[in-house]
Amino acid sequence: MSTGHETPSDLWRRNLPVWVALMALLALSAWAAYWPFGRIDTAVGFAVAGVKAALVALVFMQLRHASGLVRVVAACGLFWAAILFTLTLADVLSRMVNR
Amino acid sequence: MSSADVEARPREGHPDIEARLREPWSDLETDHATAFARQRAGATFGIWIFLASEVLFFGALFLTYTAARLANQEAFAAAGRETNIVYGTLNTAILLTSSLTMAVASQAAEKGLFRRLTLGCLAATAALGLAFLVVKGFEYREDIEKHLVPGAHFALAQAPAQIFFAFYWLVTVVHAIHLSIGIGLVTRLIAKGRRDPDFLKENPQVEVTALYWHLVDLVWVFLYPMLYLPGRSG
Repeated sequence: MSTGHETPSDLWRRNLPVWVALMALLALSAWAAYWPFGRIDTAVGFAVAGVKAALVALVFMQLRHASGLVRVVAACGLFWAAILFTLTLADVLSRMVNR
Repeated sequence: MSSADVEARPREGHPDIEARLREPWSDLETDHATAFARQRAGATFGIWIFLASEVLFFGALFLTYTAARLANQEAFAAAGRETNIVYGTLNTAILLTSSLTMAVASQAAEKGLFRRLTLGCLAATAALGLAFLVVKGFEYREDIEKHLVPGAHFALAQAPAQIFFAFYWLVTVVHAIHLSIGIGLVTRLIAKGRRDPDFLKENPQVEVTALYWHLVDLVWVFLYPMLYLPGRSG
């Protein structure tokens, strides 16, 4: 919609680099799981998942070019999930510390 | 001719746009192009609201996992070592690739120019989705043979490892149901697009299906470190 006359190769040129990055990130997280650093491995695994999710959401799901209204709705899902996680984990983690 | 008949006639001579206009947008007092643009915006807005509710549904499941893992870290590491990382990594690659073909199909349909590319990419997406389910089936068979089903004959000594595998079975089956629905929706687009050459062009149904497909992929992206990566270095 942005440019008038795109060809199929333009579509692939825009989306293929994202796929290459996603595959590289997948390889990184599989490799990082075998590092002998315990919790850092876990953190790398979930950080990589977050980056992959951001790439898919921004480019494949076109949030990059979405209207403000659509972005607010997408952010709402994350916002309420963040409240759910924060309040629950505040309880779980404080019990673990006091044990 | 009644006023309703006059109302229903194309105002601008876009018969293909008119065919894809649905209520209530077909009743708008604007030209069809504007009404169709609003229909597209409404479809995108609506599917994102559904996706936000799915984020909360899977978020609650992921939070249950997080709390159980924090309380039983050794057992979750031992249980995570038992899942098959080869199948898990292969399936992640398959789904990420299916998101690429789905994104290209959706963007090609949005431009309204490349029907063959759209149909080909939709077919590749459905095929990759089926490949994921086949790999998952082989994995389930191996899991059952290794007695990784919670219950009387469970393989691992630590009792909390059963919590891990209860989560594993619940969440992978729920994900597989979501993916099967996605394959059905993509197959429907292929069938309609093959029958009617104008069906896929600029049709919001393609974008809505694509956004749903990407969300199902994203759920798996987070399940991968939860189910397949714990306990690998120990």
